[in-house]
Amino acid sequence: MIEVKGVTKTYGKKQNAFLALDDINFVIPDGASVAIVGKSGSGKSTLMHAMSGLDRPEKGQVVIDGIDILKLKSKAVDRFRSEKIGFIFQSFFVQANESSFDNVSLPLEISNISVKARKKRVLEALQVVGIDDKEKQKARNLSGGQKQRLAIARAIVNRPKIIFADEPTGNLDSTTGATIEKLLFGLNKQSGSTLVIVTHDEDLAAKCDMRIYIKDGKIDKIVSEVE
Amino acid sequence: MKTIDIIRRAGRSLRHAKARTILTSLAIAVGAFTLTIALAAGQGAREYANTLLTSNIDPQILAIAKDKSFFEGGKTGPQEYIPGSSTIARPNGALVKRLSQADIDAIAKRSDIVSITPTYAINAQYITRSGQKKYTVDATTYNSGITQTVIAGSLPALRTSISDTQIALPEVYVSLLGFKTAQDAIGQTVTIHLERTPNITEAQIQQALATNNPQVLTALATKQTKDADYKVIAIVGKSATALSATTSVEISNNSAKELSDFSTIGTDNYHEYTIATASVKPGVDPAMVKQALVNQGYGVQTAKDLQGLLFTIVNTLQGIVIGFGILALITSVFGIINTQYISVLERTREIGLMKALGMRGRHVSRLFQFEAAWIGFLGGVIGSTIAVVAGLSLNPWITSTLSLGDGNVLLIFQPIPIILLIIVLMLVAMLAGYFPARKAAKLDPIEALRTE
Ligand SMILES: Nc1ncnc2c1ncn2[C@@H]1O[C@H](COP(=O)(O)OP(=O)(O)O)[C@@H](O)[C@H]1O
Ligand SMILES: [Mg+2]
Repeated sequence: MIEVKGVTKTYGKKQNAFLALDDINFVIPDGASVAIVGKSGSGKSTLMHAMSGLDRPEKGQVVIDGIDILKLKSKAVDRFRSEKIGFIFQSFFVQANESSFDNVSLPLEISNISVKARKKRVLEALQVVGIDDKEKQKARNLSGGQKQRLAIARAIVNRPKIIFADEPTGNLDSTTGATIEKLLFGLNKQSGSTLVIVTHDEDLAAKCDMRIYIKDGKIDKIVSEVE
Repeated sequence: MKTIDIIRRAGRSLRHAKARTILTSLAIAVGAFTLTIALAAGQGAREYANTLLTSNIDPQILAIAKDKSFFEGGKTGPQEYIPGSSTIARPNGALVKRLSQADIDAIAKRSDIVSITPTYAINAQYITRSGQKKYTVDATTYNSGITQTVIAGSLPALRTSISDTQIALPEVYVSLLGFKTAQDAIGQTVTIHLERTPNITEAQIQQALATNNPQVLTALATKQTKDADYKVIAIVGKSATALSATTSVEISNNSAKELSDFSTIGTDNYHEYTIATASVKPGVDPAMVKQALVNQGYGVQTAKDLQGLLFTIVNTLQGIVIGFGILALITSVFGIINTQYISVLERTREIGLMKALGMRGRHVSRLFQFEAAWIGFLGGVIGSTIAVVAGLSLNPWITSTLSLGDGNVLLIFQPIPIILLIIVLMLVAMLAGYFPARKAAKLDPIEALRTE
């Protein structure tokens, strides 16, 4: 369960102060697929950064499994991210010069997983996303869809509780985007992990169990098909 | 994150930027090359100096002067006059006190001294032999504490002198004195001719005047001469490991004294010596005897002191070369800082991603420092390898050019200093990588991953 309580984030100071998030409150049940929907600049990414422990808003709480991650020390937050969170970005952010294997291996290395276990889990993850034949290829030589599959493999390899996907299909053509969506929802159902998708795409949002609409840093409405 | 995984990732990212990595490490390689050569040359020079000393100088030998200022170049400026003490001016204007015959005799009486030989001033006019031309000559005392290269004939064992009727000739005199081969000269007689202008006392002049015979007066003013005959015992050649390639003929201590007395009698130089060589009894520590003599006011140097002096010279020269190496390293440090800053800028996204995935800033910093260390390692290996290969292939040429003698090499490469050098270079590179690495560690992942 993710509880977001009164999260407020201001950019800049004094006259330049800009309220990017204004008293955000909601609860996401475990295993749900959630869309954070809104226009560009509405504050979706800022909210995602706060929920995933990348950013520290000045007010509010983000309680995950009973722990307010905004109160954790930086070392504990890093550890929380490496063990509990998977990230997927619009621009993939794969390491172009590294092989597919080494890209996916990175989160496991950060979590001090042994070489043997790493090998097994990386190959499994590559298999799940369907690019196990590209294990030794450099990421730069992959197509856009393959890069995003690689990013998904990297996000799931450490079996996170929550996967955050910021505009995961934004840089893909509609066919490739559709297969990536399918992959994400399939994983969400299979693994029981929570999936949080940041998007401005209504069609993608419609496929989620829960939709949080953001407008100018405030919650506009929440539509939930789960209790 | 485990260090080994960080090192692997550091190594891989360097391989992906091959050209930049190699160019940066070449700057370090220049320093590594210079330092490897400096270390090898220093080692070689010290070992060579040691070979020179141990094969040439009897460790029991002492060089003795009247006071310690002799070994410090003498005192310049006016000094207190001490009656009976004799001084001699050095070319630099410094005055050095001289040993008197009494000093020599006193030292010779010591139970821990086997023998003492002053350096005699011999003003020989020429050397010749019957039926041959006359040639200028410099005669010195045969030094039984130094081994020499014998071309023909033979010299006695170390610490044993030649006899008073014998002479050792340098190779040049073989043909000058009309011998066909060096061997022909052995056992032959040569003559050293000395002259001195008479020292006439007032009494002698008055006596001569009283005779009223001009011949007596002429005889009194005539130059006095001495012809000393010696049998050639050995022809001495130039040796690669000899301290000085001697061009002097060598005669026994007694002969030298006799010739010196003849030339100096009646002058200020009679029985005054700037320096003497003494041999310490075997089994007695020369340093102890030195201390005893120093306590009496003498200036004394042991064979070890000479070694120390040579080592100081070698170390100073080595220090200069090392200085250049360090200069090259400092330059390369800026190269590394620059390269790593560019690398951090280029890989902002990657760093942001690693931090977003939970990598600690400390580990990100280490990643970049290890990259710098790899560059240092590479530079060190390239530089020292080139130095070793070039040095080993040039060694025979250096040895023959500098006439170091067979078996002696100037550049001695030892694995441990080279390994230490590479480790130091890696540390220096890591230090240089510190600021870029810190920049990487402090990067905000949100900023780094911003796409707009
Ligand atoms: N570092 C920042 N400094 C100042 N303003 C920012 C910063 N990051 C984001 N913003 C502003 O906050 C608002 C929300 O940004 P963001 O969460 O990225 O929007 P979205 O992801 O919905 O497009 C935008 O108006 C953006 O300009
Ligand atoms: Mg955004």
